[in-house]
Amino acid sequence: MGRYILRRAAQAVGTLLLVMFLLHLLTTVAIQLNGNPAQAFFGDKVATPAQVAAVEQRFNLDDPCYDQVGNPCLGPFVERLGQYAQGDFGTNLRGREVSEIVATAAPNTIRLFCVVLVTWLALGMLLGSAAARWRGSPGDHGIRLTSVLIDAFPVFVLLIVYRYVVAVPLNRWAEDTFGENSWPPYWFKPSFDPDHPWATVVVPGILLGLAGSAAFIRLVRASQLDSYQGDHVRTARSKGLTEGRVVVHHVVRNSSVPVVTAVGLTFAEALGGAVITEGLMNIYGMGGVLWEAVRNDDVGLVLGVVTLLAAVTVVVMIVVDIAYALLDPRIRYE
Amino acid sequence: MRQARITTLAAAAAVVALTVAGCTPNDTVEGDGPVTLETWISQDMETLFPGDAGAYDNISVLDVVYDGLVRYDPETTEPYNYVAESIEPNDDNTVWTIKIKPDLTFQNGEPVDADAFARSWNYTADGDNGLYSNYFFGIIEGYDEMQPTTDDDGNITAEGAADELSGLKVTDDLTLEVTLASPFAGFATMLGYTGFFPIAQECLDDVEKCALEPIGNGPFQVTDWQQSQELTAEKWADYTLDETPSYDAIHWTEYAAGETAGWADFKAGDLDLSFPPTAEVESAKNDPELSERYVEKPGASLTYLGFSGYTEGPWNDIEFRKAISMAIDREGIISSLGSGQATPADSWVVPGGVPGGEAGTCEWCVYDPEAAKAALEKAGGWPDGEKLQISLGDDDAEVEYFTAIGNSIEEVLGIPYELNILPSDDYFSTRSAQGFDGMFRNNWFPDYPLNENYLSFYASGEPGAGHWGWYSEDFETKLDEAAAAPSLDESVALYQEAEAILAEEFPTIPFRWSFSATYYSDRLENVILNPFSGAPILRKIDVTA
Repeated sequence: MGRYILRRAAQAVGTLLLVMFLLHLLTTVAIQLNGNPAQAFFGDKVATPAQVAAVEQRFNLDDPCYDQVGNPCLGPFVERLGQYAQGDFGTNLRGREVSEIVATAAPNTIRLFCVVLVTWLALGMLLGSAAARWRGSPGDHGIRLTSVLIDAFPVFVLLIVYRYVVAVPLNRWAEDTFGENSWPPYWFKPSFDPDHPWATVVVPGILLGLAGSAAFIRLVRASQLDSYQGDHVRTARSKGLTEGRVVVHHVVRNSSVPVVTAVGLTFAEALGGAVITEGLMNIYGMGGVLWEAVRNDDVGLVLGVVTLLAAVTVVVMIVVDIAYALLDPRIRYE
Repeated sequence: MRQARITTLAAAAAVVALTVAGCTPNDTVEGDGPVTLETWISQDMETLFPGDAGAYDNISVLDVVYDGLVRYDPETTEPYNYVAESIEPNDDNTVWTIKIKPDLTFQNGEPVDADAFARSWNYTADGDNGLYSNYFFGIIEGYDEMQPTTDDDGNITAEGAADELSGLKVTDDLTLEVTLASPFAGFATMLGYTGFFPIAQECLDDVEKCALEPIGNGPFQVTDWQQSQELTAEKWADYTLDETPSYDAIHWTEYAAGETAGWADFKAGDLDLSFPPTAEVESAKNDPELSERYVEKPGASLTYLGFSGYTEGPWNDIEFRKAISMAIDREGIISSLGSGQATPADSWVVPGGVPGGEAGTCEWCVYDPEAAKAALEKAGGWPDGEKLQISLGDDDAEVEYFTAIGNSIEEVLGIPYELNILPSDDYFSTRSAQGFDGMFRNNWFPDYPLNENYLSFYASGEPGAGHWGWYSEDFETKLDEAAAAPSLDESVALYQEAEAILAEEFPTIPFRWSFSATYYSDRLENVILNPFSGAPILRKIDVTA
């Protein structure tokens, strides 16, 4: 196992370097083709070449390679890698520390993901298991229909309807019923409130989780149906185990491997949903930070954030792999 | 098997423990605090350093955190002395003597004296620092020596030789003598702009820190800034000047999606000032209770069309430009889009908003399809099979407007068009590199209330230069003449003549003036919009608990 983890870690570092280099190339080409962000700094003002040059220097974009289309700008890249190696993630264009931006934004996104994960697991496991257990019953049909309906509602529709139609009356009602300084009104705030980060992230998180849960419900149902027909379940039943024990130990557990895989994979996808959720609910999180950074050709911020995200993703993948081994004794990493 | 189960249980327990540790809510619900005004700014505010602030957001925050030498009357936009005791020019408006009121201090106790202004202006004027407001100081003698030199590729070859403006002299503690590079009658009007605010020595010693924790001399003091999330400023207890606020604190929530993003929060009672998204403008207007808590004012920012005068094309014929202008149904487009949140423009300087601004200076800014067709014919028509390219930055609302403009032109003149929508970096650099071919969007947000500010940037210095490749010797001579006029009134009148030359040569086409409006909560009274920036004047608002 130790050796396996070591090998995976080495692969991870390779992947990380490759991802960073590709992103570096993309943002560099974007600057070379789109024009230097230093120009946008002045907006409608007519800036002299000296003013633009001084801002380029300030933004750390004064290397001549940024003016030469096709030049991969290896110099700045190597310099940046050196800084990263020393734990310095640099600054964004305007001189704000990337590590500080991430330290502010990441907790909000993690909170959102906590709620999303709980929603996925709760809905997926409960509804999926129920549908598989009582296959063909009206309940099963109802659950499958619900999952189709959820899929048909894109997350931004859910959020817009919630924010502009439902949240304000709910918030008012909660204030009237429970008092202004109680918890319930905070749950239904139309926007995120950094002073009450948990209370105001619950509903957006549940909605984002709900939107992603349809695939989960169907996955859990399908993999459990497989298990129900498996030889080991027949054996378990025939040796006289109670139905409850059969379900929990032989069906649910054995069908968890694909679910864990899906959690790992969907996490990356959820970041896309997070951009929308964060934007609409005004949560200052990683999705929004990355979105803006790409829009502004902010090379330092894009690379810093993506490096950190890629590192987290790689760690999650390794954890998922280890979870396989724990869930399914047949899987061994030697 | 048993071993595996124990491992599984341990792993599960660890996961649960981590999740609980990471996910435990630890918020608290607090009780009533000081009387706080709840308002908004956008999330990308990067700095609160006066010399580097150039956006609506930091300008409106700094407006309550700092005091300038002059402030502007909310009705007439005329400047009046505030931190300045007096501002007097010499006979030819080249040397200005500024006397500062005695006994004023910064929020850290340092004196607000002539040095405080000199150190701020010198730092911002130093081109090596690359600050936003740098270009304002070009008017003061010695500016050029402070700028870096660049080669033809735009790379810096040498830093600026000087670190201080030679035209800036501290003659005593409270007197500043400013020598201008060339005469300018409107210098006093500029001095209320954010870039001219004073800074404390402590601020200069650590500019990065000061950009996040400003040391102001105004009625509010920034107490907490969680950048990109929220900003709080509390009333400064030792404030001595007379524009003191009637409430205790201002809390700005930062929004990623701009002004209308907070509308739901406004309706939930969490914001005191807001404006609805387009879809809800009508229902807000029709709400009898809400419509009583509404103020609006025509804005001072001009959206206009320019042409690539540096490329070959029909647009180099003034008759063609007239045809385009008269083919645009400004009124119709504005009333059908954005629920009328703009005013059709028929001048280059905002009418009524600044001294010298008058409506109707643009003769060809009226919708007249017949005259437009006639003008196009005179210009020799539009080449067959070509499309008029209309370039603009990536912004949904603007794309709607410019689609409507394109349609209006196509309908009247039969000129097919295509929109060339660029990311904003791309748009700005293409424009300054003279890379457009056809027509493109421009916008001007003025810095200080004087008609000069709307005109001087059209001066390109030489034929073919500038954003539009337009040059007029008459126009530039008139600008110089106006700047050298003996009094501000005469100067304003001469700038009006310069505007008339612009109207005659017609290099650009005015399209619309911005429009400012806000709804406010029932806790607020006396909400007045700044005629200039369109922002509510926070110092004047009354807030009840």
